Amino acid sequence: MQAEEFYDSIRTGLIAMLPRLMRFADILVGERRAGAALLGRALGRMLAEEHCYQRGTPLDRWAFGEIYRLWLEEQRDYGEPHYESDDATFAALVHNASGEAPDAFITGFLLSLPPPQRLTLLLVYGERFDHGDAGRVLDVSAETISARLLRISAGLADQLSERATAPSVVSVEEQYAEGAAA
Amino acid sequence: MTELSDELLVAYVDGQLGSKQSSAIERVLAQDDVIARRVKALKRAHRKLEAAFEAILAGEEAEAVSHPIPPSPGLLIPWDTVIKSGFAVAGIVVAAILIFAGYGWPLSTPDFASPRAGPDGTDYVGSLPGDWREEVARAQVLLGRASLEVGLDSQGNRDFIAVQIGRAIGRELAPPDLSAHGLRFTRAQVLSFGGEPLAQLLYLGTSGGPLALYAKKGGDSSEPRLKRYGSIGGVAWSQGGVAYLLAGEKDEVSLLKLAEAIRKDGP
Repeated sequence: MQAEEFYDSIRTGLIAMLPRLMRFADILVGERRAGAALLGRALGRMLAEEHCYQRGTPLDRWAFGEIYRLWLEEQRDYGEPHYESDDATFAALVHNASGEAPDAFITGFLLSLPPPQRLTLLLVYGERFDHGDAGRVLDVSAETISARLLRISAGLADQLSERATAPSVVSVEEQYAEGAAA
Repeated sequence: MTELSDELLVAYVDGQLGSKQSSAIERVLAQDDVIARRVKALKRAHRKLEAAFEAILAGEEAEAVSHPIPPSPGLLIPWDTVIKSGFAVAGIVVAAILIFAGYGWPLSTPDFASPRAGPDGTDYVGSLPGDWREEVARAQVLLGRASLEVGLDSQGNRDFIAVQIGRAIGRELAPPDLSAHGLRFTRAQVLSFGGEPLAQLLYLGTSGGPLALYAKKGGDSSEPRLKRYGSIGGVAWSQGGVAYLLAGEKDEVSLLKLAEAIRKDGP
């Protein structure tokens, strides 16, 4: 047995999934710099305590859970949320390769959600975890994940439908253009 | 109008329902405009969320690739940023030292952008298959005509299997008896890798996934080396001009014990 190589495979796995881990941390705290710092601390702890990693556990699930647990611990230590994010910093996370502007409505919607709910969406729709795995990362039951998704999805669908039926700025301006006869 | 709860519709849109339930909902959708509009809105919401998460991941990958950083931990972040960020950013540096001590900086390689490929070229198996077609197409490469020549009716004849595999890899290989370890031989087939035959012997225990012993011609003699591919553990060694890989969802101790048992019997 070559134990070092075996243990190194955890490092290899973490490196391979770094962009996914970065996304998880960024969405959790809502801001890239604070997310990178959280991830840095979490990686340090994961590597220092890698003997706690149970072979056979999907590494991504374990790593996401470690980041989330560290964040929870730090929240408890601070007593109140100590990461501040706003629309602009959160929107800065969402940009695609072609440089298209982010969907302000969706980024605003995501930012309005509490972090555990944002992560629920990320794990199910971004990472395509099943509800059980998502629950294990966030230390809640699969039923809780389903209930969160129902609440959030239905809420978002309602808001999108309202936007679709509301008159657009253009049509409002056409209807009530300056100088038009009343 | 048919009464269908949002709970059911969200489960439908998420693909959480069985085929019968999905079919039933699709029949309702064809007849009920209100429900159809609701499902359309839910799907639109999901697409928007997926697109946002994809964009964020693309941003992280672009960030990683566009900022190749030398392995020196002091240069991981510009010094002025380190100073400004204080303790928080120092955490990254510590983590980076730990990570890169053994591996160097991986971001300079284009493959880093892929979330599912390790720097050593092996695919990392997480809890999620990326795209099933991709995975299946990759597996298809291993199949050749010879794969089907060891027919199901001859799987009980270990001597016949040994001869068939021997013809393929140049050395007779009777399926090792692992019954003392609670594993029963189930079947064998000859796959193909890089145009060369690759024997696969499959075993099943009372629970858990199958255990596979792969054998391929070539390779200098070497001691067992353990490696993990996500949830799959593998022990590789070479013996008598044949390279072996024993792979399965087992812990390292069990895999090494099994590999020792196989080596001792000298397949």
